[in-house]
Amino acid sequence: MTFIWATRGLIWGFRFLRDGGCEEPLRAYDDSFSELWDESEVCRRLSGKVALRFPDPLGRRDRAGRIIPHDFVVFEPLAHEVESVEDGIRLVWPLVADEFVRVWQLSMPPSPSE
Amino acid sequence: MQVNRALEQHIAVFGESGSGKTVMISSFYGATQEPQYLQKSLFHVVADEIGQGNRLHRNYLGMRDSARLPSPTRFSATSYSFSVRLKDGVEGKAIKARPFDALRLVWHDYPGEWFEEDVSGLGEATRKIDTFKSLLASDVALLLVDGQRLLDNAGKEERYLKSLMANFRNGFLSLKDELLDDGKPLIEFPRIWIMALSKSDLLPNLDVFNFRDLLIEKSGDDINELREVLAGLVEANDALSVGEDFVLLSSAKFGTDKIEVAKRVGLELILPITAMLPFERHVRWAQAKQLPGKVAQNLLGGAVALAAILIGRKVKLPGPIAAIMAAVGPNLLDEAVKMAGDKLREVNSAAISKHDYMTATLTRFRMDLDKGEEEHVLLRSRR
Repeated sequence: MTFIWATRGLIWGFRFLRDGGCEEPLRAYDDSFSELWDESEVCRRLSGKVALRFPDPLGRRDRAGRIIPHDFVVFEPLAHEVESVEDGIRLVWPLVADEFVRVWQLSMPPSPSE
Repeated sequence: MQVNRALEQHIAVFGESGSGKTVMISSFYGATQEPQYLQKSLFHVVADEIGQGNRLHRNYLGMRDSARLPSPTRFSATSYSFSVRLKDGVEGKAIKARPFDALRLVWHDYPGEWFEEDVSGLGEATRKIDTFKSLLASDVALLLVDGQRLLDNAGKEERYLKSLMANFRNGFLSLKDELLDDGKPLIEFPRIWIMALSKSDLLPNLDVFNFRDLLIEKSGDDINELREVLAGLVEANDALSVGEDFVLLSSAKFGTDKIEVAKRVGLELILPITAMLPFERHVRWAQAKQLPGKVAQNLLGGAVALAAILIGRKVKLPGPIAAIMAAVGPNLLDEAVKMAGDKLREVNSAAISKHDYMTATLTRFRMDLDKGEEEHVLLRSRR
């Protein structure tokens, strides 16, 4: 259980690309991001987890022209090292950056195995 | 349409992700908080939940002052409830004699991708079903056609329009079993489905007639198929308008580094559309068709209340529809729904001078619909 990752693509909409081993990632996601829906950058520690959000580091946008955000719920032990958005971009983003390159322009949302 | 001291009407806005749903509701609400609006209007629009109001207002200010778009909606839907609070006018007995003394608009917003693709978990699937049940209890639905996507497909608009209509159609079909209890068609259902061009500022040469013609020419069959799917969800499906009404909407003029929120199209018609369009249409259907009792009751309860205020006659509500009709007389609805032109202006002026702001507001809404048609922003079905 390292992290939950929710994002969207150029065409496909928000979905969980990593579930962090949770059967229902939506619950953990909601708990972590409550009251933070409008913030473009987030790093908040709550109950040993870190809610982390940042705009796509390469400035990629969706079809409507909005910069794509990446939302994570980071669990321990990785969460222990994430104290800021900058930490998140340095430590968490490299773990998914290549995967996002592969999937963000797909016409359909990727399946969890992709 | 519920009546219980407040006439509550719901609007559902269906549109793909990025088609401008959240921008639209933010622009609608934010504009009502501007000093000019507060001064000239006979009412205040108040968000029933302070947090929701602040969020929409912040979205609006972000657009107006920083050219910043609202955050996209993720994994959850929100129903925004607005009270239309009339400024001080008549008091005491006159207020008590009215069938209702406030208006409420409930506006349902949801993540657009819920119609376009599978959700990514059981929790989200449950939310999606619950949301669409709420959406389908609305009085009016807007189906958004994204002006940007029309522009992207210039000359081959049918590619986009067919895919959009197929998404709507398949979205409803796939949910049908879960939306209907024991397969029974719904009585409470949006019976007016308006085709709405969002981001219409991007297509300045397109008026509402051009928009209608484009849809009919490039996607008329798909609209008919959508109508058949919706008709399969609803009881008394003759009382249903799908793709017969059209409106142009623009939440602002969007530039590369600024968003001009004062340059809006059609958003001032949202309140008149939700308050008055169902009234006009429901009365017409009731007059033209033999509607089953429960459907007639559902459609006409609010209509009788509205007619009473438009005409300025006292009625006692609620009650079985036959009793209401007997009490108010057969001509009340007809008289109210046909009130137009000079007569409408006359009633409006008289209501303002008597400080009867409810009648003044509702007659103004009807005048606004007429104005929307004159300006080729709105096109109402004549059926």
